[in-house]
Amino acid sequence: MSTAIRQWRGFKAATRLGWQISSNWTQPLVFVLYSVLRPLSAAFILVVMYRVISGGGANTAAYLAFLVSGVAFWSFVQYGFAGLSNGIAEDRGEYKMLKYVYTSPAHFYVYLLGRGLAQLASAVASALIVLIVATIALGLPINPLHINYPLLLAASSLALLAVIGLAMAFGVLLLQARDAHGYGELGSGVLYVISGAIFPISVLPGILATIASLSPLVYWMESIRRSLLGSQAIRMFPSLSDGDVLLRLLVTTAATLILAHLVFSWADRTARQKGLIDMETNW
Amino acid sequence: MDIAVETRALRRVYRSRNQEVVALDGVDLRVARGQRYGVLGPNGAGKTTMIKILVTLLLPSSGEARVDGLDVVHQFRELRHRIAMVSGGENVGFGMLKVKEQLWMFSQFYGMPSAPSKRRIGELLERLGLSEAADRRVSALSSGMRQKMNLIRGLITNPRILFLDEPTVALDVGAARDVRDEVRRWMAEDPTRTVILTTHYMMEADELCDRVAIVNRGRIVAEGTPAELKQRVQQNAIVDLQLSPGGRLLDALRAVEGVAAASVTEQDGLDRFSLQLSNDAALGGVMRVVEGSGRQIRGVQKREPTLEDAFVKLVGRGMAEEEQA
Ligand SMILES: Nc1ncnc2c1ncn2[C@@H]1O[C@H](COP(=O)(O)OP(=O)(O)O)[C@@H](O)[C@H]1O
Ligand SMILES: [Mg+2]
Repeated sequence: MSTAIRQWRGFKAATRLGWQISSNWTQPLVFVLYSVLRPLSAAFILVVMYRVISGGGANTAAYLAFLVSGVAFWSFVQYGFAGLSNGIAEDRGEYKMLKYVYTSPAHFYVYLLGRGLAQLASAVASALIVLIVATIALGLPINPLHINYPLLLAASSLALLAVIGLAMAFGVLLLQARDAHGYGELGSGVLYVISGAIFPISVLPGILATIASLSPLVYWMESIRRSLLGSQAIRMFPSLSDGDVLLRLLVTTAATLILAHLVFSWADRTARQKGLIDMETNW
Repeated sequence: MDIAVETRALRRVYRSRNQEVVALDGVDLRVARGQRYGVLGPNGAGKTTMIKILVTLLLPSSGEARVDGLDVVHQFRELRHRIAMVSGGENVGFGMLKVKEQLWMFSQFYGMPSAPSKRRIGELLERLGLSEAADRRVSALSSGMRQKMNLIRGLITNPRILFLDEPTVALDVGAARDVRDEVRRWMAEDPTRTVILTTHYMMEADELCDRVAIVNRGRIVAEGTPAELKQRVQQNAIVDLQLSPGGRLLDALRAVEGVAAASVTEQDGLDRFSLQLSNDAALGGVMRVVEGSGRQIRGVQKREPTLEDAFVKLVGRGMAEEEQA
């Protein structure tokens, strides 16, 4: 039997496991309500805050569109990053199954990829809900017939790869911590600030702006807004064409994946060296 | 001889901020294929560390280990297809999954075709008396049932070599017997399978294992069949002495001329001293010491040697006794 088929089976089971863990902790109805209300309330808070601060100036509508599109798609990072890196900690600490998964022939990469992709459905649903509700409620200039879908899909696929790569590296790195609980949110919070999701990176202090411009997430956010809002989008990179933005996304994603692979390999080896895979934790 | 597991000068040191613990201190192990092999030793002897290295969960500090002919450090990917590990004494499992679903997932992590796996899972659930629980959530199982489920997880993937780390610890008598019975049955199905199990229960090693390595402080101190190991204390008379509780007596007993080894365990509120006497005359000296201590004698029996006696003779203390610095 070929290795590919074996790994494919492991991948599918990991995806199913990831889905069960994220959805099965409560009644289906509660889960649906939670999935709808969580992103909506997060977006609502930001919109209200912005309205209060801006007092409804001339540029309000354009910035609201900037904000909402960023917040909506942030669900990919939230689910992918926090979901996956917390998942590794839970597999070890709460379920005590990480050692059994780890010593199985399913490649750890493949397992984590499956576990992470399981979050994709939730992330897409969350993004759609926020976009649709906000577009109607706030009258945003988003027309489903005018969206640049190829750009949106290409950019989001690349960004997804980058997010999962980062999450895997971060999650395995977190095995070093005795109590790795909560760091997933911390990590995605940091990314939130430097990704241009809620404000243009030009408002960041110099060094952070430079770091942000090396992150694929910024070019992803830029591509999302251009594909959704067309010429009405507030641009973080006005001098770059759509193709240039996509190219930068491609290059930064590739660099992120290489970096993530190096960190992952190092952390994985260290974990095996120090016996961290089944370390007793503070759950 | 066809070797299933072999280690050479295997050593593992745990380093933390201010101390070093030598968990394995040069272990040379050879396990022939087809055996039920026991690794017997007290808590902290290094049993789990050894298992963890052999199942590719932990790297050795130095030395070499081969499982099914494959190096555990460098050929771990291939090796993982051929082994499985089950640890006892922990409440493991993805709580929100159904029992049969969790087991099926592991068959998938091992790349097995789905339908035969499901059939096998059904059989094993039946054999271990868990059929009724197949559709229950893992979180709803008692700890004994979870441990049995965990054993099934190790068996469904049909490993060439199965590693069991204290598989019956914390189980009630009935469940422990079910687990031991299943290990025997599983081994009988295919004579090329090998089981390595660790335990600190003498009876378990004696009853279940073809060969036993006795470990203490990271070293193998003796190795052989249970009968051979017991043979080592055969020249001594083994006498159990039940005494009412009292002050420390063990050192005084060990000092008696003709007492080759002594250990003590508490049993039903009495202290049971096990003495290995190299000559019958020693009993007189023992009795004088007991009388001097003011303790009451509640029972005296001469009995056949056990693996515990072998351990006491080799190590100088009982398995359950606290190690003295
Ligand atoms: N992760 C660890 N860090 C530091 N010391 C450890 C660790 N794991 C085990 N030890 C120590 O190594 C020794 C052997 O432990 P272990 O292999 O668990 O023994 P056993 O399974 O026979 O009880 C003990 O002294 C234990 O305290
Ligand atoms: Mg142990």
